[in-house]
This record gives sequence, C-alpha cells and structure tokens, in this order.
Amino acid sequence: MMTTPRNVRGRFFVLVLAVLALAAAGCGGEDDATTGDTGAATATTDAATTAAETPETPTEPTAGAEETTTGPTTEAEDTGDGQAAPADCDGLLVGIAGPFTGDAASIGQEQLNWARFALERFNADNGTNFALVEADTQLDPAQATTVAQQFVSNGDILAVVGPAGSQEAEAVGPIFEPDNLAYIGMSATRTSLTGGDYPTFFRVVPNDDAQGPTDATYMVDELGAQNVFIIDDQTSYSTGLADIVQPLLEEAGVTVTRDSVPQDQTDFSALVSRISDDTDIVFLPWQLAASAQLFSQQMEEQGKTATIFGSDGLFSPDDFSAEGAYVSSFAPDITALPEQAELVEAYTEQYGEFGTFGPPTYAATQVALTAVLAACEAGDVSREAVLEQVGDVTITDSILGAPLTFDANGDVEGAQFYIFRIEGGEYVLVE
Amino acid sequence: MTKIGTDEWVAQVGERTEAYRGLTAPVRRTWDGIPLGWRFAAAMLLVALLPVATDSSYVVRVGVNAFLFGLLALGLNVVVGYAGLLDLGYIAFYGFGAYTYALLSSDQIGVHLPAELTLIVVVALTAGLGYVLGLPSRRLLGDYLAIVTLFFGQVFVQLAIHLDRLSLPWADGPVNVTGGPNGIVGIDPIRLVGVTFSSVTDYFYLLLVAFVALAVGLHRLTASRTGRAWRALREDPLAAEQMGLPVNRLKLLAFAVGGAVAGFAGAVFAAVQVGVFPQNFETLLLIMIYAAVILGGAGSLPGVAIGAAVIAVFPEVLRTPDYARLIFYGVVLGGLVALLRPWSRLAAVLAGTVVLGFVVRFATAAAWPDAAAVAPGGLVARALGAWVATPPNATTVGNVAFVLLVPAVLAVTRLRGPARTWALPTVLYLAAFVWETRLVAEPSVTRQLVLGAILVVMMTARPQGLLGTPRVEML
Amino acid sequence: MEFFVQQLVNGLTLGSVYALIALGYSMVYGILKLLNFAHGEVYMVGAFIGYGVLTMAGGAADPVLPAAVLVPLMFLAAMIGSGLLGVAIERFAYRPLRDAPRIAPLISAVGVSFFLQAAALLLFTARIRNYDTPELIPFSVGVEVGPLRISLVRILVIVTAVVLMVALTLLVSRTRLGKAMRATAYDREAAAMMGIDTDRVIAATFFIGSVLAGAAGVMIGLVFSRVFHFMGFLAGLKGFTAAVVGGIGNIPGAMVGGLLIGLAEAYAAAYLSSRFSELVVFTILIGVMLVRPSGLFGTPALQKV
Repeated sequence: MMTTPRNVRGRFFVLVLAVLALAAAGCGGEDDATTGDTGAATATTDAATTAAETPETPTEPTAGAEETTTGPTTEAEDTGDGQAAPADCDGLLVGIAGPFTGDAASIGQEQLNWARFALERFNADNGTNFALVEADTQLDPAQATTVAQQFVSNGDILAVVGPAGSQEAEAVGPIFEPDNLAYIGMSATRTSLTGGDYPTFFRVVPNDDAQGPTDATYMVDELGAQNVFIIDDQTSYSTGLADIVQPLLEEAGVTVTRDSVPQDQTDFSALVSRISDDTDIVFLPWQLAASAQLFSQQMEEQGKTATIFGSDGLFSPDDFSAEGAYVSSFAPDITALPEQAELVEAYTEQYGEFGTFGPPTYAATQVALTAVLAACEAGDVSREAVLEQVGDVTITDSILGAPLTFDANGDVEGAQFYIFRIEGGEYVLVE
Repeated sequence: MTKIGTDEWVAQVGERTEAYRGLTAPVRRTWDGIPLGWRFAAAMLLVALLPVATDSSYVVRVGVNAFLFGLLALGLNVVVGYAGLLDLGYIAFYGFGAYTYALLSSDQIGVHLPAELTLIVVVALTAGLGYVLGLPSRRLLGDYLAIVTLFFGQVFVQLAIHLDRLSLPWADGPVNVTGGPNGIVGIDPIRLVGVTFSSVTDYFYLLLVAFVALAVGLHRLTASRTGRAWRALREDPLAAEQMGLPVNRLKLLAFAVGGAVAGFAGAVFAAVQVGVFPQNFETLLLIMIYAAVILGGAGSLPGVAIGAAVIAVFPEVLRTPDYARLIFYGVVLGGLVALLRPWSRLAAVLAGTVVLGFVVRFATAAAWPDAAAVAPGGLVARALGAWVATPPNATTVGNVAFVLLVPAVLAVTRLRGPARTWALPTVLYLAAFVWETRLVAEPSVTRQLVLGAILVVMMTARPQGLLGTPRVEML
Repeated sequence: MEFFVQQLVNGLTLGSVYALIALGYSMVYGILKLLNFAHGEVYMVGAFIGYGVLTMAGGAADPVLPAAVLVPLMFLAAMIGSGLLGVAIERFAYRPLRDAPRIAPLISAVGVSFFLQAAALLLFTARIRNYDTPELIPFSVGVEVGPLRISLVRILVIVTAVVLMVALTLLVSRTRLGKAMRATAYDREAAAMMGIDTDRVIAATFFIGSVLAGAAGVMIGLVFSRVFHFMGFLAGLKGFTAAVVGGIGNIPGAMVGGLLIGLAEAYAAAYLSSRFSELVVFTILIGVMLVRPSGLFGTPALQKV
C-alpha cells in the first residue's frame, strides 16, 4: 500500500491529537488509580470520584504514604498512617470475590447482587460512601489467590467478603493472614476452615458439622428412615456434608447407598431408575436448586416415590418446589418474616428472584461494612483494627433470623438449623 | 498475505523492506539490528526490576502467573510449534506435576522430601508420563491425536476428583490420595540448598531464572540436530520418515520434553498456591495456554513468550473497570487510526461521533432528565458522562443497545467506501453508549466479553500470530 | 429386563440430543477440517430462543397457544435463530482464517465462545432458567408398555431427532446442495474449479449444522428443563466426543456416535455408578480411538505426498 508523505503527516497529526486528548482525560483516571491503587473504579457510589478529585488532600488515609513505600511490609505503614491521620472514612473499600462468570455464575451473580444491595443500604443508612471492589474467581482457587493478592495490595481494602468455595477459602488464607485482612465467607462451609489454620476467616453460615447431624437426626427420628440414598454433586461442599451424614445414618442402623453426579449433569434418569423401591429418602446435599428440581421431575416421570431431603443449598422456593420434599436451612424463610418484608421487596424489585446464596452474602457484607465503620469511628483505620472489629461485631436484626455474632473460631455463635417441608410450593417450617 | 510463487526468502526480504517504511522506520530498523540475545537479556533485565519498582505484591503475583504461563507455553511450543503435534492433554502434565509435588511435600501421605529431590522426581515422572501418553501419537495422526489427548486431560481431572476414596486390596478402608474436590492444602514451600522460597517475590525470581534457562536451552535446541529434525517432522512427517529420521522417537521426545517442562511449572505452582485443587486444571486453562502459543506465533520463541505475557497480564488489567475502559476506547481509536484513510475521513468520523453524541444527549435530555449523573472513575469517565446519554432504566436500554450493536459492528466491517464513513459515527456512538450504560455496571462479564472479542479480532487480523511466520500448510 | 429397557429409553433420549450436536461438528469438520468449538454455544443460544418464545407465549403454566402449536413454534424459532448465528460465526470468525494455520481458527472459536457466553450472561443474567415442561406436557402423559413408562416428551424428542436426521440424510444424498457439499468436502479447490460456489456451500453447511444444534437446545430444554449461559460447554464436549467416536466428518457416524455415547452414559450410571459415568465415557472413547484411529465409521486419514 502506497502512502504519500502528506497523507502520513495528516494521519500522524490526528493520531497525536487523539492521543493527547486521551492522555489529558486519562490523567484523572491515573490519579484515581494512584489513590485507590486499582480498585476505586468498581465503586458503586461516588466515592471514587470524590477521591479522584482530591488526590493531594492530606486527609486521604493512604494516598501519599502508600505510594512512596517500597518495602513489601506495607501493612506496617498502613497502621502508622491510620493512626497519624485523623479518622476519615471516605473511600474505604471492601473486596468481594466470587464466581461471577463461568459455570457457577448462577451462585456468584446472586451473591454479587446481594452484596451490592447491602452496600447501597448500608451507605444510605449510615451516610458513608464505602465501595466494593468486585473480583471474579470462577471458583478456581488459582484465580482466587491472584485476586487475594490484588486485595492485599490495595491499601484501601480493609475487609473481604468471600471467596465462595471452601477450597478457595483455604487457598487464600495464607495470603490474607500475614496482612491481617479479615475475610468473611458466605458459602464456604467446610468444617476445618474454622479449625485454627485460617485465623482471619469468619463465616456467616454454620459449618457442615452443624448441619450434618441435624439432617441425619431428623431423617432417623422424625422420618423413620430405613434406607437412604445419598447423592453428592462432586463439589467440596457436597462431599463434605455427605461424608458427615453417611456415618451418622449408618450408626443409627440405616442402610445407606452412596453415589455422586457431576454438578453440571442434567440427565439424572439413569440414576433415578436406580432408586430402589424400598428407598424412603434420597438425600441431596447440592448447591443448584434447579438441578434438584430436575431430579424430582425425573423421579416423578419414572414414578419413584422416595422423599427428597435437601441441604441448605437447595433452599430456594423459586427454583425448588418438589411436593413433599424436605430442605434444611441455616435461616428461617426470610420471605415469610414480616420484619424483613421491606428488605425482600426492595431487593426483588431491583434484582429479581433469589435463592439461598443471597441473604448470607447480605449478612457478610453487612458485617464487613459494620466493622470497617466501627474501626474508622474508633480512629484506627487499619486492617488489624477491622479484624478485631469483625470478631466483635453484633448484628441484632440479622437477615438470617437470629442475632449474628462470631465465636472465637470465626463461626456463627449459636448456629441453628431449621427444617422445612414443601407443601403446595410453600416452605413450611417443621423444626 | 502469502505470496504464492515467491521464494520464501525473497518474500521475507520484501516484507522487511515494506515494514521499514513510515515514521517509525529508523527505530524499527535499529531494533531489528540488535542481536536476539541482547534483546532477550535487556527484556529480562527490565522484567527482573519489576518487584523492585513496585510495592504491590499483586503486580508481582501477576508476574509469577505470567512466568508460569511462559513456562507452559514454551513447553507446549515444543510439542505444537516444533514437532507439530496437536496435544490437547497438555494440562494433565501440569496437574500431574502439581499433584506429585503436593503429595511428596505435604501431610497428605505424610511425606516431606527435600525440594531438590522432589523437583527431580516430578520432572522425571512427568517426562515419563509424556512418553507414555505420547505413545498413541505413533499411530494417530493430526486431529485424531488431538482428540485422544484432549480426553487424557479430562481423565486426569476426573481422577483428581475421584481418587479420594480409593479401595486398595491391602488397605483397611478407602484411601484418600488426591483429596477429591477438597484438594491438598498445606504444601511445603520450595527450599533449595538451604534457601526457602516463601514470598511471591522469591518465586518470581525462581521462575525468572527457570524461564531464562529454559528459553536459552530451547533456543539452542532449535538450532540443534534434534530441533531441525522436529521442524522437518512438522513440515512433512512422511518426507521426514523417508529421509531416515526416527519419526516415532522424535515425537515421543517432544512429548517428554513438553511434559517435563509442564511438570516443573506445576510443581512451582503448587508451592506458590500452597495447595492443589482439581479446579486448577480445567480445560479453560489449556485453552489459555494454547491462546498464548498461537497468539504469539507457534514456533517462535520470542513470540510465545510475548503471547504468554499478554495472556497472563491482559485479563488482569481488564479486572479494573477504569483500565478496561481505557483499553476499550484506546483500541477503538487505534483501530480507526490504523484503518481509516485518508486522514480527513478519520477526522470527519471522529468529529461526527462527538457531534452525534451531543445531539443524542440533547435530544434525550427531556426523556432522561437524570442523565447528568456522573459515572465514577476519574476525568475520562466524567468527560464521557457529559457526552454519553445515560437512561434511567440502564439495564433494559443497555441490553437492547447491545443486541443492536453486535450486528452493527459486524455489518460495518463489511461496508466499504462512503457507506462506511457514514455508518461509523452511529456505530461508534452506540458502542460508547453500550459501554457506559451496561458494561460498566458488570465488570466481570465485560471482562470475558472483551477477552472473547479480542481473541477473535487478533486471530482474524493476524492468523499466524504476533511474531509467527506465515507458512503454507500441507493437508 | 424392564430396568434394562428403561435405560435404553433414557440413553436414546440423551443420545439423540448428542447426535444432533455431533452432526454439526462432523459436517463442519468434513467440509473445512475445522473443529468448531463455538458449536456448543450455538446450541445454548437455541435453548434460550426456545425459552424466549415460551415466555413470550405466557410461560409453560399458562400458554396463550396450545402446546401442539407452541412446541413446533419454539423449535422453528430456535432452529432459524441458531442457523443464522452459525452463518454469522462462519462469516466473521472463520472465513478470514480459511487459509491460516490449522490451529488459528481454534482460538478464534474460543473467542466466539467466550463472547457468546458472556453475552448470554449479560442479557439473561446467570439464573438457571426452567422450561417447566411438566406444566406444558405432563410427564404422566405417555405410553405404558407393560411396566415400562415412556413419557410423551421423550417420544417427541426421539421422533423429532429421527425426522431431522432422515431429512439431513436425504438432503446430503439427493439434492444439488448435498452433492455440492460432498464435492466441497472431498476437495474444496477442485469443487471451486468445477463451478461450485464453495463459500456459499460452506455457509449452508454451517447453517444446517447450527439448525440441528438449535433443535437440540430446545430438546434439552424440554426434557431436562435447565437453560443457562454455560450449558454449551459440556454438551459441546459430549457432542464432539460423539462425532469423534463415529468418525469425524462422517454423517451416519455422528448419529451412531451420539446414540452410543448417550447409551454408554445411561448404562454406566445405571449399572456401575454415575460417579464414574464420565470416566467410563472417556475411557470408551480412548479405547475406540486406539483400536480404530479414525473412529467407527471414519476412513483412515490418507496422507498426501
């Protein structure tokens, strides 16, 4: 292609102009990036904008000092910084990590929506302008650790909500621990997570050790189970819970058959035909309520009459409505609680239907934001302070029914499980 | 553009003289004059300064990821780029290496071997596995080999998930080998000759050294007898066999070398992550490694290295919506500057877009009164906020606009001449509108959307990869 | 015995869906030697179009149209929509790479696949959608042969699949277009020299393959009721497996391969454990390939010298 010199000069001129325009405009963006490091942009409020407008204001908690530090020990500077500067709660951030894309996105997006919702309400109620930094992990621990590193490096992030999976929570622990960054799980239930190996981990949902025995006891004592078919979905959550329930049932003299299907399986018909006629309960510790609905439809199709007993992952009136099935849950049905009606209505209007993963994320986000605000009001904007505050947080009218506080291990105090029976599409509390 | 009938060497010289035209010609000519070794050394020196230049462990961690990608891509390049064998089970070697290291350095089976020994064992085992899994390549040709190896990869993940309750005849109960979906955690850090690698920065330098060693080694191997034999095998297996080359042995060697490299990378990855999980080794990662090799230009060492860096860094940059926005507008602008000529037309299109924006903004002001709401994210955002109309029900309007935008963009790539000039401002404005109303609100989804679009655009624009040489393939 | 036959029905349902997806892979491969990894996403889009039509008609519980009209309408819309999408993908993501190295279109396909998944996520959100078929065609409606129950939905799916496959076979063997497709698959350059507009034939191939994928999408929605943005990945992998087992590029091979994979999954889940059903399928595949390197019906790859 022949290009005349004149032509070249002309194009070059336009290019330079365009680049200059972009660069001029880009300065704002860069300032923004230095103040908030990388995260401020995800702000769902105007926090980032105000931060960007006043990059040189000395009251900015982390701005200058953070940038000039070259050593890897940033958290020390953070502390000094927070103490030196008067408490200023502007532009503080909370990270949220979850599977927002990929095959678990149906879970992750619900969690994300509830976290955004919690943030909006918290900011409106408390006059703060905190913001969320969203990071997608696709349920891959490798991505979760990279994201964790991103959170740790951003000095304005004082607490983290998530990550979603137990294996992710295990993988990010060693990264958060040295920086005293608190992370609050909303769906990681593996028991060993709160066994002391992950001191900065908290969770708003009870662990498998709380749910497993409740379910097993109910099946044996109330439903008189003789023959139970346990099917896990090959995830860490599911196998963990099944491993706890199976021996408990066996000790009680129940005949247990165990099988598993991949979480993304859609055809259960072959598995369904293996449900023997004397099987009285099929226990499904699954996370996708839509799959369980499918399972029940295929049971109906083949004329199987065993009762489905689902774990908390299936508590989702919009998706799972198999007549006569039982579901356990760590919270009462919030859609039936009059004191939460306004909240539920506001959420549904803005984001639509939801299942079991949203409300705990709301609670977790609330905990994180409350702790950040408390630390900030106490004049100590550091991760250690927030970590301590998370341990002391009490949310009296928690969305999860009971008052929410953590015990020394980071588990919810006084975890209780409720069991529901589905009657005519309604979840009826039976225990 | 392949020039059929022209001698390859003549064509290359022709291309090079063509490339030296224009304003950046002196710079490019000088750059091409520097020997490859010096360029590589300079680049690596610059990269080595990265942890010193930044205090963000995130940046260093992305560097670690880039090096892991680099190692994997170099290893895969031996199999795909040199020997021309389509190995879609490559991820299994990475996983096997990681799991082997994890088993030999954790409480899982209570074995804690010294890292020097473990790494040697890992490399030897994965090389052996490469040899074994390469055996079908003696019989299977082309795509059939690709398909069988793809399922080796799948089988590996299945085994990792299911070998947590293995019944062995001599054991009492089921034996937990891989930890199932929970994986193996609490893996020892790598400790070599008394030095413990504990921080991300430590691993960054360990991987840097490994990467340099491997790149230099492979560069020398390319020119060696084996390297030349591989290329002969790639270009025409039948002719290579006729020339007396030990074709089967060469194939197996390529598999073994590729496997050993991936195994080493896997071991380091396990130590960096302090754990291994089945989700680490899913098909998506394999696709990304392939993308690195092919984007950079299969067969070209610098190309593959650059491809790996792009694939590791680019998705991370896209995580931050502000950067994603800059990249989006930058790429659009850059594309226009590169493709639209003469410059007066370019200027007209840009001016038309800006004017159109204000017109739309003004026209919708009555219907969308709160359109003045400023999108967060600095000056660029504010400038855009003043220009792009923002409807109150952004989700619905944005979705409709997105559905219109995709066919509009595709159509405009087919238009030529004045029709394109007239259509461009509308499409450009629509693109900006979609970005500001819908995509900004969903950074994670946007990230995947942009990644997909960029892959398609890059491959269609440069099928041979960034630094690959175009060559005619025999079918 | 009835258990065995029940599994046969289960396997055939799933198998016919796999077969339809496999046909798309196989036809494209036959004509272009290209692995179209975006094919699973075309199927996903088909399932969403079917869902869209169902929702617009008032949903499964309270449709404005009778099921006998609505279901064919869903199939039609999904098939045309997917077909057009397939043509667009070929035109913009594959045609520019027609003479590029063999692996380049793979990455382009992956890009398309990411893009379509993310677009579905953006437009329809991540919620898993449910066709709620039992509301439309109750599972209790069906044929009872002795102790064996076959629901109407399954019969519908199997029959539709068979009709489509027969139509395809006739198209390829009896029509001018079919002849042109066979000629193009045999030798594209020679076909072009004989006056065949190969670009148009290739576009037609993509259209037909994608139409079948769209139909498969609606079928999955009807029988298994679960539609979401990521559903194409696994189904694509299964369909691809089926195409390979049958001998990729071979049309009857793809049909047989699809049915085989469906049956293998059903019987593995029924007699062994569904825990290992995927492992069983992959092992069968590797076994078949090692014994017959070109699949069951494939012709051994000849090398041109």
